[in-house]
Amino acid sequence: MSLFWFRDSEYLRGARTVALDTSAAAYSLASSPLRAVEATDDYLQSRQSLREENARLRQENLVLKGRTQRLAAVLAENTRYKALLNSTAMLEGDVMVAEVIATAADPARHILVLDKGESQGVREGQPLLGADGLMGQIVQLGESTSRALLVTDAIHAVPVQVLRNGVRGIAEGTGDIDRLIVRHVATTTDIVVGDTLVTSGLGGRFPPGYPVAEVTAITAEPGAAFLTVTSRPMAQLDRGRHVMLVVDKPTIAASADR
Amino acid sequence: MIGVNNGWVIASSLLVTLLFHAAPLPLEWRWFRPELVMLTLFYWSLALPHKVGIVSAAVTGLMVDVLNGSAVGALAMGMVVADVFILLNYQRIRQFDGLQQSITLAVLVALALLVEHWLMRAVGLGGTGLTFLWSVPLTLLCWLPLREILRGLRRQFEVL
Repeated sequence: MSLFWFRDSEYLRGARTVALDTSAAAYSLASSPLRAVEATDDYLQSRQSLREENARLRQENLVLKGRTQRLAAVLAENTRYKALLNSTAMLEGDVMVAEVIATAADPARHILVLDKGESQGVREGQPLLGADGLMGQIVQLGESTSRALLVTDAIHAVPVQVLRNGVRGIAEGTGDIDRLIVRHVATTTDIVVGDTLVTSGLGGRFPPGYPVAEVTAITAEPGAAFLTVTSRPMAQLDRGRHVMLVVDKPTIAASADR
Repeated sequence: MIGVNNGWVIASSLLVTLLFHAAPLPLEWRWFRPELVMLTLFYWSLALPHKVGIVSAAVTGLMVDVLNGSAVGALAMGMVVADVFILLNYQRIRQFDGLQQSITLAVLVALALLVEHWLMRAVGLGGTGLTFLWSVPLTLLCWLPLREILRGLRRQFEVL
């Protein structure tokens, strides 16, 4: 147990890095049979299904390209307005793709093992994105691997705001993979089922504007001072092989606190 | 205990079960993963108490903790506590029949998990409720087959 007290000490940093990389190797080895099966499956897809997939992806790509064009215009416009208002420009973050090696074995935690580490420029606290929204953040760094804590882990919390009107709150993980709760929302707050919660950027850890969750239920206990707001994470936390790490460029609130 | 006594069999059996511990499972199923690492350690501790004791339990527990990425030392502590029971009672436990032994071992695994849970809660990690005990029934069922396999290994390689 005494090791626990020193877990943040600098002397054990090397040991921790090595332990993390070794455990990642173990995870990778343990999941290799499954990967082999998946790879064979991939290889043996029929020509027909490949062509269909190809066509579908082309269409999707076209649609997305169209949307990006509009986004670029809007961004430029936005930057101009910001300049007019004399406030700092919000720069868009770049992303790096990482592969999920495994989910850590402890069922009480929601931790992913990723195949990118310190040597690839990953740093602690770096936000993790899925295709549909925020997934979590990096909590432990190895030399070439790292571990990410998902937003649904019971000890995770992320500052959010309602996209529609900017009402702020803090979305806490619950330990359930499909549930986040927002505590301490006053009963008179304008928040309804279906609202999208996005990162607010407060606290400086997450860049603002990434979708986090969608409100699924709001219960008001008679006499209670606060609403219980339940939401479902946007990102598909329990599937997918790849995730994106936001490589930051300066944002408004960057490095505000750590 | 001098000379060849094939200690590597013990180490490699533990490493193999550690790999099983790291094997991918869907999120909801992970609660039911049998505690093979613990059972393996307890088997060796029962069979060779002069060789596999609380130090081995602590080291193995640490390895599982590192694999889990949890508060380092929590499960190690739990395994040490359970292993002390085995070291004090190994002669009695060896005499039990299959069912009695399975139940005893399952209770010891539950004890180790409980200690881990206490320590994790004390540092603010880990969930609430008793879901962490869901792995115990499967662990109970795993004891007899695992004992046969390990006993086979022990006799084959004459581990002393």
